[in-house]
Amino acid sequence: MASDNTNCKVNALVLTGYGLNCDVETAHACELAGARAVCVHINDLIAGTVHLEDFRLMIFIGGFSWGDDHGAGVVQAVRMKKNAGDRILRFIDKGNLVLGICNGFQTLVNLGLLPGFEGNYQDRSVALTHNDCGNFRDDWVNLQINTATPCIFTKGLEYIELPVRHGEGKFIADDSVIERLMSQNQVVCRYASSDGSSAKGRFPQNPNGSINDIAGICDPTGRIFGLMPHPEAFNHPSNHPDWPRLKHMTLRGLISPDAFYASGLRIFKNAVQYFQ
Amino acid sequence: MAHRLETAFKPELFDAEGSGIKNKALSYFNICTESVRTVNIVTIDKDLGPDQLEAVRTEIFTNPVTRVSSFMPLDISFDWCIWVGYRPGVKDNPGHTAIEAIEDVLGVSFSEDEGVYTSRRYCIKGADLNRKDAETIAGELLANDIIQQVKIFSADDWDPKTGIGVIIPRVYLDHTPTVTTIPIESDQALKQVSDARNLALNPNDIPVIRKYFLDPEVRAKRKSVGLDEPTDVELEYISQARSDHCNHNTFRGRFYYKDWTTGKSETIDSLFKTFIETPTLKLQEKKDWVVSVLWDNAGVGRFDESHYYVITGETHNSPSNMEAYGGAITGIVGVYRDPLGTGKGSRLIMGSYGFCVGDRDYNGELKPRLHPRRLLDGIIEGVRDGGNKSGIPTPFGQVTFHPGYMGKCLVFVTALGMMPSEVAGTPAEQKTTSPGDLVLMCGGRVGKDGIHGVTASSEIFTEHTPAGHVQIGDPYTQKKMHDFLLEARDRGLIQFVTDNGGGGLSSSVGESARLSGGCVVWLDRVPLKYAGLDQWEIWVSESQERMTVAVRPEDVDQFLALSEKHAVESTVIGKYTDSGNLHITYQGDTCAYVSMDFLTRGFPKWEFEAEWMPPEMRGLYEPVLGEPTDYAGLLKDILARPNICSREWIIRQYDHEVQGSSVIKPLVGKDRDVNSDACVIRPVLTSERGLAFSQALLPFYSAIDAFHMTACTIDEAVRRLVAVGGDPDHIGGVDNFCWPNIQFDPKGNPDGKFKAAQLVRSCKALSETCLAYDVPLLSGKDSMYVDGHLPGGYGETHKLSALETMQFSATSVIEDINCCVTMDLKFPGDLLYVIGETKDELGASEYYDRFGYTGLNVPCLKPDHLLPVYKAVHKAVCRRFASAVHGVYRGGLGVHLALCAIAGNLGLNVDLDLIPVSRHLRPDHLLFSESPGRFIVTVDPKDRTGFEAFLQDHPFACIGKVTEDGVFGLRNDGRNLVSISVEELKSTWKRPFENLV
Repeated sequence: MASDNTNCKVNALVLTGYGLNCDVETAHACELAGARAVCVHINDLIAGTVHLEDFRLMIFIGGFSWGDDHGAGVVQAVRMKKNAGDRILRFIDKGNLVLGICNGFQTLVNLGLLPGFEGNYQDRSVALTHNDCGNFRDDWVNLQINTATPCIFTKGLEYIELPVRHGEGKFIADDSVIERLMSQNQVVCRYASSDGSSAKGRFPQNPNGSINDIAGICDPTGRIFGLMPHPEAFNHPSNHPDWPRLKHMTLRGLISPDAFYASGLRIFKNAVQYFQ
Repeated sequence: MAHRLETAFKPELFDAEGSGIKNKALSYFNICTESVRTVNIVTIDKDLGPDQLEAVRTEIFTNPVTRVSSFMPLDISFDWCIWVGYRPGVKDNPGHTAIEAIEDVLGVSFSEDEGVYTSRRYCIKGADLNRKDAETIAGELLANDIIQQVKIFSADDWDPKTGIGVIIPRVYLDHTPTVTTIPIESDQALKQVSDARNLALNPNDIPVIRKYFLDPEVRAKRKSVGLDEPTDVELEYISQARSDHCNHNTFRGRFYYKDWTTGKSETIDSLFKTFIETPTLKLQEKKDWVVSVLWDNAGVGRFDESHYYVITGETHNSPSNMEAYGGAITGIVGVYRDPLGTGKGSRLIMGSYGFCVGDRDYNGELKPRLHPRRLLDGIIEGVRDGGNKSGIPTPFGQVTFHPGYMGKCLVFVTALGMMPSEVAGTPAEQKTTSPGDLVLMCGGRVGKDGIHGVTASSEIFTEHTPAGHVQIGDPYTQKKMHDFLLEARDRGLIQFVTDNGGGGLSSSVGESARLSGGCVVWLDRVPLKYAGLDQWEIWVSESQERMTVAVRPEDVDQFLALSEKHAVESTVIGKYTDSGNLHITYQGDTCAYVSMDFLTRGFPKWEFEAEWMPPEMRGLYEPVLGEPTDYAGLLKDILARPNICSREWIIRQYDHEVQGSSVIKPLVGKDRDVNSDACVIRPVLTSERGLAFSQALLPFYSAIDAFHMTACTIDEAVRRLVAVGGDPDHIGGVDNFCWPNIQFDPKGNPDGKFKAAQLVRSCKALSETCLAYDVPLLSGKDSMYVDGHLPGGYGETHKLSALETMQFSATSVIEDINCCVTMDLKFPGDLLYVIGETKDELGASEYYDRFGYTGLNVPCLKPDHLLPVYKAVHKAVCRRFASAVHGVYRGGLGVHLALCAIAGNLGLNVDLDLIPVSRHLRPDHLLFSESPGRFIVTVDPKDRTGFEAFLQDHPFACIGKVTEDGVFGLRNDGRNLVSISVEELKSTWKRPFENLV
């Protein structure tokens, strides 16, 4: 799909307010990927002072909306559905992209935008619940990317490392739903071991106990994508925990400087390239 | 009518919280439960119809995938059920967000009389459990009786229809707000009122207060506004402003210092002016990056041409000691308001923590209010939620265990912010109030919570300390306010901003009104959580998440509209004037009228006698300790000590990567599991510049001499920065003193003169070291009275004083973060260097402590010798000659060589005879001496000449090599001293807390 004017930058809406907190780095990642990012307060969207029609990419960012007090992302989803639900559905209908990261992913599943079986964007059939370890956890994870997925955001990726930072990231659903997600290739990324093999539920490779190591899913069209790890927090090579070691390896000619790349940006670049 | 909704995980799903309680009950109290299931309860105190209730139940509170719910008690079987809910008036954050959600879903609004209250019940199964077990779990794990109420049901007690009943912890104050006048006919009368009302007026202040109110001129003026004798509003205001917490009477006090070695005496008129302000002003002249210090809520340094960074530190000891979670979350969320209230406002970019508690496994006979283990759990969780929910990374922190902190724990919290150098065309670090500007209060509402918090923290903790000042911080409300204020700032709507912390409005409005020269405050306009507060309570309440802002009248509509968009409450509560008076009214009647300059004139200084007896005279000596033979066993034992071993379990609970700025993380190395020397962030994402941050805590050395404790602490913080690539030419510091009571009292505080002398010596060391290292003090803080009276086994009580403690925080700007380096060994074959001399300095070391010794030879700093070394190391790092750099800290070379190896999963081969020394030392002394000023560095053999050229004028030596075989090998005098696998060292170091998550 090409936009009307390829010279025009892709406009990305970064949703803010009510305790969301990854606005600065998400907007920065969008800009590095070639988009024009605008941080928009939830209430400006609801009040209509900002129009979704002006954007091609909408990002539900990470944070603690409403303090996550009644289930992460629940109250945000309630407010968005009640006050802007129709507009969001129209936005999706027009072929635009939606990305939900961490609290944003939790919101997307509570809105019902994911998994979006057969174009039903209203039902809650999957959930992200408390980590099995019982606590918030910050760590980097390895992710296997399903190369057969329709997901727009992960095109060309087979493997990526990203940080997770959450207390409620355990992906659960009924067996039949999991089965369907797997068979329709809606499971986009799964927690893995450092050698790229499946985490098989082992902690801490699978940091939260997610069923089938599921870290992120998309809708059947691949245009709506939610994941627990934070691609926007890998916006610079120095975000990676191994970078001081990698840097010295490149200085000694042991590895190529190409290994030194902020891979999180690939997620955003894929979104921008989709419209170009 | 109220409605009680219960929700729980579907029975087939794992209940992580319940499982955590089950584990803790077993490991903490040896209580074996079969299962624990958690039920969340939402009690809605509002008339709602069946359809509305069903909408609320399904759309908000019941996730169809994971939860079951009912307006009847859920049928979950148990042997014991424990219900825990908040006491009336305690901040119920989920209750507040529930109101927002219900209003959204139903399109209704809650009146002042209606509300939502959350609570929990825990369904515990275990055939052998008795009531006492249930009470232990309730009292020691689930609830703290100063903020929560508990009900315990056995299976037989339980009525499946009524369940816990309908409990509404609403505050009812059947009280008409009243202003009371206070008689001042004599000093004695005022003293009595002060004691009765818990005003904590200093007896020396009382005559000054009386003189003011009896002055005929003052009386005439007061008469004109309808006042005669002072009102409670006025005296509470004065009490707050004169408290040690707000006025720093100790640090501004007069010290008569006598040194028993020399017999010399000296008088120091103000520790603050002499040892903090003077050196900082001197250094400010020398360092053009110092932008704003010594007056605002936080210090300001230049990050780059268009950005300034902001830093300050705080403690929240007394409240945390009473209610660990609430105290700690209030502390971290509170310190975050300081940068937000610095200049015209700063965006928060990081925070850090320092916890000092008693031994986690304490099993002695003293009975602290909260066991150190529980205290630490609560503190960790409080700072976790406060930081994570604020969206501010916490990439650095430390924990220190020592029995002295059983009397009162320490919770250090530090905050850093970033502001543009200009806001709407004006310098961002400057702000003032002008006559005509309106006074606005933004954020939370005012309740009874936090009243007399300031005066309570200026007193020693006893069994009778009122718990009313314990609060629960609300990061959600504050995050909204943070986002709002920054947008208002960028639109040029803010003339002045400051936070409401200690002393509440009395402090924020009182102090900001000094700039314009007066104010009028309409107290009846201040939004309250519930009616019935007296005027003085509104004025001094410390209810959290509030800022005071000065806004020009022409901007106020725009300001309020923006506030509404961000769902933040902002209210005009007064006006700045130049009348020279603080004028407070309530419904038109004046209730306070005090001259603005009253607080700055005529009050007597506090006075302290300080007597220094050097350690030799106090009977300290070096232990007679023969050389050990089992060095591997010894090293492993030291690595597993609580103050040395891994605390990964704490670090991973803190989001250290939000904002996407992480460069050097708190955990580094091949397995990302060893503490880095310092953290580095890239706060301006479009720039390659970095901000390095470190802290140090070495209270142990105070057992010998607080002078050296202070010097070594500063050195460690500075060296930590240099180790990651920090620039010694740009280091800013923050001092944070936590000291036991220093006021001599022959019965209550017999060693007060000594503790006062320790404080004087500590301040001297602070000044000397900062001047030698060129470290201006960007901000600082002091918290006195770190003492407690603990009950013992027979009902007797024991006074426990903490070690004299000063935490030092340091920051540095790094021009190019690509030069940063970590401490893990990286390449087999690399040369291993030690820089700096190792001396016979084992006094108060971890090694001596292992055997119960204090010793005498405390580590001594020679800062003039060390700064050139640090500059040389920095140059070598910038040239990328060092593949790993690590400072040598607590535990000495033995511990820190081991940590480098553990982090790199690589071995090393070291000849101890090569370690630079000034005179010969025994191997155990070489390995465990804690001499300051030392680094471990690894270098690619091809860079040997280049690296050594930088260090040629300094003590350094290549002592060995990094090896691939994974063996930690130490040789001495031709023999193998230690040969042990790094893997074994790693598992030993990780084992003590490895089961905690």
